[in-house]
Amino acid sequence: MNEKEGYLDVLVIGAGIAGIEASSLLSNSGRKVHLIEKTSYTGGNVIKFEEVFSNMECSTCMVAPRQQELLQDKNINLLTLAEVEDVKGSFGNFTVKIRKKARYVDLQNCIGCNACFDPCPVSLKNEFEEGLSERKAIYVPCAGALPNVPMIDTENCIRFKGKECKACQEACAFEAIDFNQKDEQLELKIGAIIAATGSDTFDPKQTPEYGYGKIDDVYTAFEFERLYASNGPTEGNINLKNGKAPKSVAIIHCVGRDQKGYCSAVCCMYSLKFNHYLKSKIPDIKIKEFYTDLCIPGKSHQKFYEKMKETGTDLIRVNEIGVEKQGQGITVKYSVGNKKGNLPVDMVILATSIEPRDDTPELAKVLGVSLDEYGFFKEENPDASSVTTSKPGVLIAGCAQGPKNIQNSVSQANAAVGKILSLSKKR
Amino acid sequence: MSKSEGNSKNKCAIISSKLDTNEVIIDFLKKAMDKGIFDAVLMPLKVPAGDSFAYVLIKDKTLLKDGVPLSPIMSVQGAKAVSSVTRLGKAKMKIAAVMRPCEIRGTNELSKLGQTNLENITLISMDCPGVLPMSDFLIDPEKNIRIFNEAMQKGDDTIMRPVCQICDKSSMVAGDLHIGIRGAKKDTFFMISNSQKGNDVLDKLGIDLKGDINSWQAKVKNIADEKHKKREKHLKELKSKTGGLDNLADTFSQCINCHNCMRVCPVCYCRLCYFDSDKVKHPSEDYLKMAERKGSIRFLPDTILFQMGRMLHMSLSCVSCGACEDACPMSIPVAQIFSMIADETQGLFDYVSGRNIEEPIPLITYKEDELHDVEDAND
Amino acid sequence: MEMKIGVYICECGPNIADKVDIAKVINAVSSIDGVVVAERYKLLCSAEGKRFLKEEIKKHALTHLVVAACSPKQHEQTFMEVCEKAGINPYLFQLANIREQCAWITEDKDEATEKAIRLTRAAIKRVCHHSPLEKKELECNTDVLVIGGGIAGIETSLQLASPDRKIYLVEKSSSLGGLLTNFDKTFPSMQSGSKSIQEKIQTVNNNANIEVFTNSEVEEILGFFGNFEVKVKKRDEEQSTAEFNVGAVVLATGSTLFDPMQTPQYGYGDLDNIITSLEFENMNSSGKITLKNGKTPNSVAIIHCVGRDKTGYCSEICCMYSLKFVRYLKDKISNVKVSNFYSDLCIPGKTYQKFYDQTKGKHVDFIRSTDIKITKNGDKLNIEYKDENGSKNNLVVDMAILTPAMEPTSDTSRLTEVAGVSLGDGGFFAEEHQKLSPVSTTTEGVYIAGCAQGPKNISDTLDQANAVTGKILSSLIPGRKIEPEVKISQISESFCIGCKTCINVCSYGAITFDEARKISVVNEAICRGCGNCVAACPSGAATLKHFTFNQIYKELMEAVQ
Repeated sequence: MNEKEGYLDVLVIGAGIAGIEASSLLSNSGRKVHLIEKTSYTGGNVIKFEEVFSNMECSTCMVAPRQQELLQDKNINLLTLAEVEDVKGSFGNFTVKIRKKARYVDLQNCIGCNACFDPCPVSLKNEFEEGLSERKAIYVPCAGALPNVPMIDTENCIRFKGKECKACQEACAFEAIDFNQKDEQLELKIGAIIAATGSDTFDPKQTPEYGYGKIDDVYTAFEFERLYASNGPTEGNINLKNGKAPKSVAIIHCVGRDQKGYCSAVCCMYSLKFNHYLKSKIPDIKIKEFYTDLCIPGKSHQKFYEKMKETGTDLIRVNEIGVEKQGQGITVKYSVGNKKGNLPVDMVILATSIEPRDDTPELAKVLGVSLDEYGFFKEENPDASSVTTSKPGVLIAGCAQGPKNIQNSVSQANAAVGKILSLSKKR
Repeated sequence: MSKSEGNSKNKCAIISSKLDTNEVIIDFLKKAMDKGIFDAVLMPLKVPAGDSFAYVLIKDKTLLKDGVPLSPIMSVQGAKAVSSVTRLGKAKMKIAAVMRPCEIRGTNELSKLGQTNLENITLISMDCPGVLPMSDFLIDPEKNIRIFNEAMQKGDDTIMRPVCQICDKSSMVAGDLHIGIRGAKKDTFFMISNSQKGNDVLDKLGIDLKGDINSWQAKVKNIADEKHKKREKHLKELKSKTGGLDNLADTFSQCINCHNCMRVCPVCYCRLCYFDSDKVKHPSEDYLKMAERKGSIRFLPDTILFQMGRMLHMSLSCVSCGACEDACPMSIPVAQIFSMIADETQGLFDYVSGRNIEEPIPLITYKEDELHDVEDAND
Repeated sequence: MEMKIGVYICECGPNIADKVDIAKVINAVSSIDGVVVAERYKLLCSAEGKRFLKEEIKKHALTHLVVAACSPKQHEQTFMEVCEKAGINPYLFQLANIREQCAWITEDKDEATEKAIRLTRAAIKRVCHHSPLEKKELECNTDVLVIGGGIAGIETSLQLASPDRKIYLVEKSSSLGGLLTNFDKTFPSMQSGSKSIQEKIQTVNNNANIEVFTNSEVEEILGFFGNFEVKVKKRDEEQSTAEFNVGAVVLATGSTLFDPMQTPQYGYGDLDNIITSLEFENMNSSGKITLKNGKTPNSVAIIHCVGRDKTGYCSEICCMYSLKFVRYLKDKISNVKVSNFYSDLCIPGKTYQKFYDQTKGKHVDFIRSTDIKITKNGDKLNIEYKDENGSKNNLVVDMAILTPAMEPTSDTSRLTEVAGVSLGDGGFFAEEHQKLSPVSTTTEGVYIAGCAQGPKNISDTLDQANAVTGKILSSLIPGRKIEPEVKISQISESFCIGCKTCINVCSYGAITFDEARKISVVNEAICRGCGNCVAACPSGAATLKHFTFNQIYKELMEAVQ
């Protein structure tokens, strides 16, 4: 890449941990950042975790100060409910069209008192809580979401479907609800772009042998995170569907790995974290972890594994595994070599593979970059720093580039900033 | 070689002598001064008036003969004396400091806190029989010197300071050299080295470390175990008398906030004690408000705050010497109480103050695995 | 000067107004000495609200401002800016939280009002003792010292070097390149390793803004972020020293291999034809893979996880480079049989499994095993092991390649003293925060990158090198001054007794000991105001600006009376 003059503003797509860190670092250097986020809140997937490995730090406590600084940072223009529609130009000289959906709630006037929720007549499954609890048509996804301003889900709000309803507006004392807000189209002059759109997880409905969606109390990792979360649908109480606490749990690793064709790098570690979650709430609980290869690279992670072993949890290596209903409970059927086993459990947690988001191909097309064979953004050179793409000026960071843990996502976010700043004329 | 390693080497010299303990020590010091190993000696001497003892830094070796290493009282805690000599820099002379084990331990703690520089100082201790309470001694000093010496011969500690009576560390080797009497055959003494410095001194004196200290260790353990049992019993009673806010208030109700205990304590090293500073002096309206809220207020106020605050600040380094109790004009059993709590605070970290000069004070060390009893209390 | 305190209570719409009797609060605070005005307002954080405050400050010539409203996390900054714009030092301000900590959590209106009164009065009493703190500015040097001339150090130097930013690259050995010079190829692309690093070295040597010191070590680093003074010792004939100033330091000292002599069960050093991975790389680079007797091996065993039990962590790259070795062997020796003895296959990330799938095949075995012992079998090697069912088994091979764990280099300890950083897990340099600050350390201005921070592959190393670049380029900017923290600790010279307790509890190395005066001194450029030293100092000689004993005591006394 050559040094170029031109626009210095940077567009960061995705306000998850990678996007937040990149924006923050760019702002420190004096650059103006437009941080585009598709949803109504910042924090991405990381704020769904109660604690993170391997120091078991409270995830929200870790991220919330960053989110707060973001909201008050004068150099960062946070645009939530916004997507990139079009990108023209080249490094140093991009013209970007952003489509910003209306929130129907004024970000300046709203003080986050939540008075508008109760009166709303519409109840739906809350996607943030993995469908385990409900929300209204006017809502914030979880307690503590930042910005602490609700949005109106126009697809389900009865007013937007033609009925006469002003319940939320009437409950608001700050005139913050404005049904007349319109979607906006913005045009920004941008020097460089960082795509930090994160990832999704494999849907185990595609692998019926795990019983997900058919058998009660079979959960995905994210669903279990929300069950354990103190601001989650059960306020952190781990209960089965029948309301009782589980006495035994099976955690199954590598769900979807065969289908995806790669190891998702974080699942063994978070499965060990789940061991801690369960033991801290239900000390006598019996846990078995079913895995193929234990993937715990790095200087701090084996220590974490040793500690987990001390809690009495068994790790069982398997070649094949399936989950079946057995009367009121569940049986995990597995085989390792020529040995077969049957384990009755109350609950199963599936550690599902990380996969690219559904909207990645579209965004790639808009940005003019390619995807690799797995559907993640493709780095320019797999032997070099993986944050540059084949298109100069468009960089990638975090799980949008491939499965990785938080530490590596943050390193990549910082690296993307490093690349952008080192190519500026004034440095 | 660290001091702790020296201890485990079980090496010692056996010295034959018909002299008593005090004389053996003085003889040793004289020989050392003759050979130029020490330039001066710090040890207790009887004061000219004859009715007390004080730490004296002796340069003129002819005065050694007046020394009383095992003096009947501890007028000044030895650690304070050593600290005074070297706080602002190392001594330019080679000094031997002869003190009780608890005073050596206090010196070690002060060294860790930057208040003493032990370069050029050789710390010499001996098996300690205890010391008399000051107030008892002063009733009739001459008579009490005799009574003390007799008790020391018999191994009787019932006349000593209350904390001495329950001390299970009276033979702890924490300095450079230690003279052992316990478990020794008649007319012999153990000379134990605990460090390279100690080794060098004995080497220069031509004293070989070929002896076996098993009998000393056995006797010491015996005595320590007995004392330990006595200690547990006594402290259990004390806890029931002083435990809980009401009992605590009663126990310290006689405290007049004179701060004597703090002043004589070897480990209280602050230039200006927090409890002497402006931070505890409040405008009158604050006192009037307190009086209003509670109905009345006592003066001088904040005695419990002082006692608990001082305890918080120094408990991890407390060596249970008992200097504070001696100094209290109101005869509050403050040393016994502080010693009882020090057992617990130091116990939380498996720490014994002053036992090893290389062992850092728990306040400034962090271990991943510690304080679970405190941390997990509500889990 | 006479104190004139203005107190403003925000209604926050119905949030506070409905739950707290604001009139009573105004009444209760107006009588305090120094309060010249106490009023209410609908929404102080709004544009009109801020304008109102600014006008009020001017109207009453206020010297101090107290606002009773929401959480400081929300609007402390907002109102401090209002103060600044209106001419009051922003630190002569206090925000009482009567919303999150009162109105939002108290059902009973009387109770809420009583609490709001206490909180507001406490804030007023506190603000009386505030000092007008001032921001400081420090000049900074933007040059950078990079310690370690391997791939991480080279990449960092190349990314940072520019006409107004000089890079000093110090390498202890005689040449740049580090471990990468040994690798014929790198995974997963199997592109050239040694050739590409040689090209990079050439680029470094041609870069006029990078000064390279080989056969040199950093002896001393004094100072702090923006102002480090460095001494480098060169192992040349004159033993000369170079001295220069930089603004930041990067530790990119890489790693070394565990010595398999410590694990005698593998027979290394004892039996022929047992070599380490590094020795194998060199053998492969020389062009021919042979046994000690000159013959070509037909069967090779690769033993994974050597030393892992001793180090206590997985070194992340060995499974992958073992697969690379399989390819090296297959390229050079047709029909060679390769057996991988491993415990868990560690191949995380999107590209690695494919590499494994494509490396598997005829004559390539993966044997999950434990309790490995290698003994002599004529001129071959006998590998005894326990298989995954626990049964004993053995395999005879010509050659064994050991993959030893990755360890910190031998000078890591020395460098922690020199650079003022600490060691973390595994004895590698400790990052500031495991998740959010992997390339920073708790010493501001000192960064870490590559295997010096922990075992990792080349791509992640380069990410970290670029991450360090990002950190430095965004904080050490030519022409820009550094603004250190305002609310910092200060130690009274007259009361400090020199016990160094504060120095021992400071996580940032911000306190030094003045040997001449025998007291501890706070470095105002580094102190982050965490307060550890203030809490630890037994005599109260250390105090924290904006959190002095007096300020907190007065606030507390008022709140509980």
